[in-house]
Amino acid sequence: MRRTLPTLRKRGIGALLLSMAMLWGCAASIPKAALRLPESTLEVRAIQTRTLAAPSESDILAATIAVLQDMEFNVDRIEKPLGVITASKVTDADSTSEQTGLFFLDLLCAIGGGSGCGAMLTAQDDQHITLTMVVLPSLARSEEYTVRITIQRVIYDKEDRIRVLERIDNAEIYQQIFDNLRKSLFIQVGEL
Amino acid sequence: MSRSMQSLPILSLLLLAACATTPPDVVGAGTQLEARQIQTREYDTLNKAMTMRSVVATLQDLGFTIDQADADLGVVTATRLHEYTMRMTVTVVEREGQRISVRANARIGENSVTDAGTYQDFFVVLDKAMFLTLHKVD
Repeated sequence: MRRTLPTLRKRGIGALLLSMAMLWGCAASIPKAALRLPESTLEVRAIQTRTLAAPSESDILAATIAVLQDMEFNVDRIEKPLGVITASKVTDADSTSEQTGLFFLDLLCAIGGGSGCGAMLTAQDDQHITLTMVVLPSLARSEEYTVRITIQRVIYDKEDRIRVLERIDNAEIYQQIFDNLRKSLFIQVGEL
Repeated sequence: MSRSMQSLPILSLLLLAACATTPPDVVGAGTQLEARQIQTREYDTLNKAMTMRSVVATLQDLGFTIDQADADLGVVTATRLHEYTMRMTVTVVEREGQRISVRANARIGENSVTDAGTYQDFFVVLDKAMFLTLHKVD
């Protein structure tokens, strides 16, 4: 059967549009608001920051490092002039309830005769936590230091694929670290 | 006419095949001068140490953790893990006439950020942090 010119033209244009759409998929997409401050900035900053009184910068830095050790972090880098301490740790992210759920999912899949029942492989395996503490003399008050903490984590599954990529914003976690820092500072100063 | 239309799917497949190639992207795609222009701002309000303090505060405000910081060299490298991985390197250099030059460059995942607006957003946040540091607000 001989195809007419308009039909071929339509198919050609269709193919062209399809290929352009697919090529568009190859192009990188950069989020437009990647470096804009979110509305929650002030709230998050308040959660992450405290001002503490200490006799000297060395005291508060020593107390901070001791707290990181208490929390089983490894100190990766310290840049004293900028007050920047970077620490990290890798911990277990196994969850019994998640694994139980995935086990039954695999079981149902196997009973149903399905192939590729690998739900268990998507179970969380370990989490890599990185933490930055910035300890600097207060600009407003002498003998006081501002401490700001930022924490984020990556959770990997059993096949080393990234499951979760997130900043930790839980206020209770930060409050607990600051409580520990106050205790550590008390011990540090008391030992002198 | 009809033959050229018929060859379009083949042409599109060839173009798609280009996506699969992996050139050694060492020197980057943008022009050197253009990249510097959109990534750099100059300030004359604070010294280098206070500018670096503002840079660290800006990165923390934007949700980054600091990977590495060097006060002597004026370099801060930071990472943000939120939905995607974003890495930034910010350099602070003293210029003549007590001016301070701040240059930021960013990558999201495997892609370099070349959009001028994104860097403009970063410097808007840095401007605020510089203002707060200048007025001794913690």
